[in-house]
Amino acid sequence: MEKQEKIKILYVDDEINNLTGFKASFRMSYNIMIAVNATDAMEHLNSHPDIRVIFCDQRMPGKTGVQFFEEIRSRYPKPIRILLTGYADIESVIDSINLGNVFRYVKKPWKDADILGAINEANKFYVSNSLLAVKNEELQKAYNELDKFSYSVTHDMRGPLLSILGAIEAAQHIEDISEIRKMLLMMKDSVRNLDDFIKSVHDYYNLNRGELEIKEIDFNEIVKEQTRIFNFTYLVSDVEFKPSIEQKETFRGDEVSIKLILNNLLSNAFKYQKRDNKEKLVELKILVENGKAVIEITDNGVGIDKNYVGDIFNMFFRASSQEVGSGFGLYNVKAAVTKLNGKITVDSEINKGTSFKVTIQNK
Amino acid sequence: MSAPFPHFIIIDDSQLDCFIGEKIIQNTGTYSSIKTYTQATDAYEHIKNSAPGPADAMTIIVLDIQMPVMNGFQFVEAFELLPEDIRSNYAIFMFSSSINESDKNRLENHPCIRKFYGKPISKEIVSSLVNAV
Repeated sequence: MEKQEKIKILYVDDEINNLTGFKASFRMSYNIMIAVNATDAMEHLNSHPDIRVIFCDQRMPGKTGVQFFEEIRSRYPKPIRILLTGYADIESVIDSINLGNVFRYVKKPWKDADILGAINEANKFYVSNSLLAVKNEELQKAYNELDKFSYSVTHDMRGPLLSILGAIEAAQHIEDISEIRKMLLMMKDSVRNLDDFIKSVHDYYNLNRGELEIKEIDFNEIVKEQTRIFNFTYLVSDVEFKPSIEQKETFRGDEVSIKLILNNLLSNAFKYQKRDNKEKLVELKILVENGKAVIEITDNGVGIDKNYVGDIFNMFFRASSQEVGSGFGLYNVKAAVTKLNGKITVDSEINKGTSFKVTIQNK
Repeated sequence: MSAPFPHFIIIDDSQLDCFIGEKIIQNTGTYSSIKTYTQATDAYEHIKNSAPGPADAMTIIVLDIQMPVMNGFQFVEAFELLPEDIRSNYAIFMFSSSINESDKNRLENHPCIRKFYGKPISKEIVSSLVNAV
């Protein structure tokens, strides 16, 4: 089991005997910090943002415990506040609890069991609060993405459909069969774009929700499979594809993510070619050694404008209108690389070509 | 004497949509010329370099909103900076398959956008465009 750090607890009391007693009783199980006044307490809070529980004596010169808690509450909302007090102060304690400044109180003189019980409860509360905060943040991120997502999805799914609908409408008035054929070809592209988009959405969900499944990777096999796919789906007959694979050791990783990365980067390299180029070229270099795999994909295609290079991994960003991209591919690639704890860099020059380099660690 | 039919410029990153627009406009017969652009920047260059002063007929711009590199709104913003004697020859109509609230608000901020239409373009829409200019 992983060694867990002791929970940090701060105790504020003007009586030094109480402080030393408290520390002596609980220092074995907890990381106890002590302070004789509010100023010292603030110092601890500043240098230890991960203090989970604060005990404070109610009766202190200059400032009561309730006042102290009220003061620090907005600045340090995370630690759980517990008041130590005798029966005499019960009225102000009740008020304070009701106002939410104090989580609970322990009466003085305290018994070890009361303190331990209070720490236990407070810690549970702290942990669930922190989890909640993390979950909230995740939710907020998911909501923001969903907003962007739903608009783009409706647009990107309706777009091709409405194009096809328009084409069917227009075809009713076209007599020339060669015109109709031309239109059918474009309709086919539309259907393929829609299908690619839906596949990307699927990839997106797999990446975000799916677990890694680590197994042995044979890069030769994967590249063979990719080559088959590209021969089917793209008209790559006029693009020269030069794969070179050197796998010097057994590599373990998540096959789905690796395939996704290769598939997206290769399909971009095939798609964004210069139309009039006589020597269209896509190079794939994979080198597996020293505990990592380095994948380089280079093309001599249209390249990416340097103004847009910084944006290419953003969701729904499209830097070219030569081919109808989904704006999803590189976003998914980046997500997959991140998921594998890898690194991706891009080097591109407009009209010269683009080169992507992906490095992933052997698991 | 009746005025000549308008010219058309279609700006849409989808080749198919450009093609359909062209065919539908051709079928109505109510046009002087049709040009299509899959890059808004190319269309902008063409318009910028067009002859200023009164033209033989108005040019209707069929403009898609969501496009890479330069989208419909960025095109409109660039267009608005052109000299008045060029702008007055053009009438912009926006087209999209879907529109969100912030885009609707943006439409209102640009008086040079005459109207918004949902895709796909149809014969009826083309006649209403021709009637509007």
